[in-house]
Amino acid sequence: MTEGEKAVLRALADQERRVTAAELAEMLGQKNMRVVSILNSLSQKGLASLEIREIASYTLTQEGTEYAENGLPEVRLFRAVLELGGKAKVDEAVAKSGLTPAAKGIAINWSRKNGWLGITKEDGTTVLEVKAEVPETPLEEVLSAISEGRRAIPEGLDSALEEAIERSLANTSMTKVFEAEVTREKRDMIDELLSKEIQGIVNLTSEMLSSESWRGKPFRPYNVELEPAYVNYGKKHPYAEFNDWLREIMIGLGFTEWFGPYVETEFWGHDTLFVPQDHVSREVQDQFRVVSPHDHGDILDDKYYKAVKAVHENGGDTGSKGWDWPFSKEVATRLCLRPHTTPVSMRYLYEHRESPQKMFIIDRNFRAEKLDATHGQEFDQCEGIIMDKDLTLRDLLGYLTSICKGVGIKKMKFKPGQFPFTEPSVETFAKHDKLGWIELGGSGIFRPEVTYPVGIKDTVLAWGIGSGRLYMAAMGINDIRDLFTRDLTWLRRSAFVA
Amino acid sequence: MIVECRIDDLVALIGEKMSLNKLEETLFLLKAEVETVEGNVIEIEVNPDRQDMLSTEGIARAVTSFLGIETGLRKYPVKKSGKQINVKSGLGRIRPFISCSIVKGVRSDDELIKEYMHLQEALTTTHGRNRSKASIGLYVCDDIDFPIAYGPKEPKKIKFVPLGDDVEMDGPTILTDHEKGVQYGSIIKSHKKWPLLYDSSGLVLSLPPIINSNDLGRITTETKNLFVEVTGTHLPTVDQTLNIMTASLADRGGRIESVSVVYPDGSIDETPDFAPELMTMSIHKINAMTGLGLSGSEIVAALEKMGFGARQLKTEKVQVQIPRYRVDILHPVDVIEDIAIGYGFDRIEPAMPQTMTTGKAHPVTRLRNKVRDLMVGVGYQEVMNYIMSSPDLLRDKMLRSRPVVTTGNPKSRDYSVLRNSLLPVLLDFAAQNQHADYPQKLFEVGDIAVPDELMETRIQQIPTVSGVVVDTSVNITELATDIGFLLRNLGLDGVFSYSEREDATFIMGRAADILKSEEPIGMFGEIAPEVLTNLDLKMPVVAFEIYLPRTGEW
Repeated sequence: MTEGEKAVLRALADQERRVTAAELAEMLGQKNMRVVSILNSLSQKGLASLEIREIASYTLTQEGTEYAENGLPEVRLFRAVLELGGKAKVDEAVAKSGLTPAAKGIAINWSRKNGWLGITKEDGTTVLEVKAEVPETPLEEVLSAISEGRRAIPEGLDSALEEAIERSLANTSMTKVFEAEVTREKRDMIDELLSKEIQGIVNLTSEMLSSESWRGKPFRPYNVELEPAYVNYGKKHPYAEFNDWLREIMIGLGFTEWFGPYVETEFWGHDTLFVPQDHVSREVQDQFRVVSPHDHGDILDDKYYKAVKAVHENGGDTGSKGWDWPFSKEVATRLCLRPHTTPVSMRYLYEHRESPQKMFIIDRNFRAEKLDATHGQEFDQCEGIIMDKDLTLRDLLGYLTSICKGVGIKKMKFKPGQFPFTEPSVETFAKHDKLGWIELGGSGIFRPEVTYPVGIKDTVLAWGIGSGRLYMAAMGINDIRDLFTRDLTWLRRSAFVA
Repeated sequence: MIVECRIDDLVALIGEKMSLNKLEETLFLLKAEVETVEGNVIEIEVNPDRQDMLSTEGIARAVTSFLGIETGLRKYPVKKSGKQINVKSGLGRIRPFISCSIVKGVRSDDELIKEYMHLQEALTTTHGRNRSKASIGLYVCDDIDFPIAYGPKEPKKIKFVPLGDDVEMDGPTILTDHEKGVQYGSIIKSHKKWPLLYDSSGLVLSLPPIINSNDLGRITTETKNLFVEVTGTHLPTVDQTLNIMTASLADRGGRIESVSVVYPDGSIDETPDFAPELMTMSIHKINAMTGLGLSGSEIVAALEKMGFGARQLKTEKVQVQIPRYRVDILHPVDVIEDIAIGYGFDRIEPAMPQTMTTGKAHPVTRLRNKVRDLMVGVGYQEVMNYIMSSPDLLRDKMLRSRPVVTTGNPKSRDYSVLRNSLLPVLLDFAAQNQHADYPQKLFEVGDIAVPDELMETRIQQIPTVSGVVVDTSVNITELATDIGFLLRNLGLDGVFSYSEREDATFIMGRAADILKSEEPIGMFGEIAPEVLTNLDLKMPVVAFEIYLPRTGEW
């Protein structure tokens, strides 16, 4: 016998009567379904008899509730006439009874039908006269039984119950009820089965502690092996916890967190990163343009603007050819939703030009993609830069390795890649237990066209990881839309464990 | 960009048998990636900087060098054809540049012709910026009556049969009726005259950058000698595009001949030009960037594996010859990357990072985390939603009229604006979860965007916390107590107060502003039944929203 079965059997044996599964469930603090299934198994073992009945239960309508509280209108009217001397004009009787005009008709009809009051006309007014000694009606008894929540209606009230339903004072509904009791023939055996545990203190109270009455008495053991119920307490979102964890790793590696806005000028979003002004990533099919209430922003530092413009047009002082293409301020000031977090790195460098620096950000970016299983129009990037003298490509791979190890990736490989703002560029692939090699993110050394206009000549290593992709791999999620799931039940049941 | 190759063709061009695995590994180290293999067809993803690898020939060329089968600078000998093209005046603002080549004895079968077209398409889409900067035309050289003229023509006077068609059309008709005209017409439409290429007998070659004529621009398996032209608005792009196309055709056995382009000012440009560009680089700088400690000869070897010509100079320098089909070399760092690739990314030893800095979280992150911890403590479940939202939700359904940052090119109206409040987003979340167990206590901590003309990028991005309680019956006093717990633990005990608020989103008499020293920092209340009805939410809701300081400190 399982602990669950013992608990139910014990509760059932204690009752020594037929008990419903619902009552048992309440006593045990268990779910109804679980108790029913345990009762089933007890009945299969012959320890309990289980009966399934369909029973009617009754609830009062609004009108019924009112009558249960204030009395039936016909009774109230009868009493009013009685108090007025056994004979009274209708209006006086109604006023005395305190009935509403709406209830007046009902009261007169039923008191006449029951033979309690007689109606006559005297001098053009309607007069009521008492015809019975005491108004007798089982209907009140029925209403109060229902309102008290009694399951069974006392015997002999069947016709009154029918009347209550007919008069729309009560509703009927059918429920399936599981009723059980211990098998009488096996009572001794059951008692023996449970006897060892049946004795003892149930609740230790403050009073017992002060009076020390607990001393020398056994405590009744509880079933401490029950599977606890699922509950909906407050907790964090697993994806947010994942990003918290990433943030912790970055800070542990000595990176400082920074912030930048979702809406950017293309100057910060692309120009400072040496992305040519006619690059496909700036087109409407790739990036969200902001059109209202404002579609263009400001460029605050004219000197910096001129340096960036020169780099685009002819390479400026960087030794580069540049893009050999006229640079447009209209394009530079255009507003977009940032397509990557790299403008935040640029804003950080703009304010921190002295080595050494290590900065990171984990935040949202936007791409004009149609939402499906593999494309999201919003994604989080975990990105960072390291600025110092004498840093090399080997150091970049070293940082990538320590970041990967930080998030638990043991095996990785590097591929040459291409980004407009880094050279050399590196793509990192990580070996995932289930998914095989997955692309983790891009990185590289910022081009001189990117760093010189800010006045930085030291090496800046830059890297970015798609944190959503990493989280999906960790949680076994295949659909990118589940990152920002709208399924509350899933959220309540899910946890991120690093 | 995906390049589709026939495996047997690719292997034949490489000239050495190899397993698919070996090919895949080699391409990986060369910046390219095998996407799919199906039968004899392999799809290879090429990075857009390597425009010269957008064809089977180009991929084979790179692989051959990398594997040491044929290293160093490729020779593309060019013979003068003596043929000429005259550029007429008046194209300056329209499409001023043209460069041409003749390639003789090119192999052509149905598959190859298809591949030439693919390369043409790929090049003009990316490097040519959808044909606006450069576009390519291929013609049957032997049918052309040289010299060719390239000049502006009135659209109505342009008349020819477009490639693949059988009726003659005039310029405007091509732009409105022909598929390519509809696709690319906007490039020339606004000009009074359009660029036209025609030969000495008046036959039209093409209307660049739209469409070739069916007379001279129809390549068949019979075509052995090709005339190639590239027109455009940026001369370096035009030349590079011509060089890549011409080199590919030469790799298919063609012999290159040059054409004289005579510009209206009398200057003559002999195209194509395959003489390599020279760059001299210091060995020290190469090693300072890569950290590889390479000797001069190792650098030369790595460069030759990447198809560059290179020799070591006595002055601790290396002179590099850059092939004319490489469009991605703007700066010495671009060559340095190729040295690292030539050396082999699989051989580079990561170095242990030395840069010592102390890290820290942004103050606003610490504040947000504190708020999240407190909200969890009060029993709320954290949710995360998109930043992008729907104007219907933020405004109409909420009975609000607050301004909202709007995008011009959304994929759907449901995600077309930036959320200017968290509350509607949480209410919508609750409306989507009416099958889940109640009570539902939900919160989100995240940023909202509010338009602000005075800001550099015209928004205030405000960190915000919002919470909702949805249940069969809700209690505003309990919510107010929860908020009090939150604010007191954020250090605002004795500083905050509530003050009645009139707001259509909430039930009249059941809403309040949350004040911090008389300054409103948020609000709470019981959501109005009109709003719940708009959201199709069939449960009562109490909710709050509080704006947190951007600096992380109140």
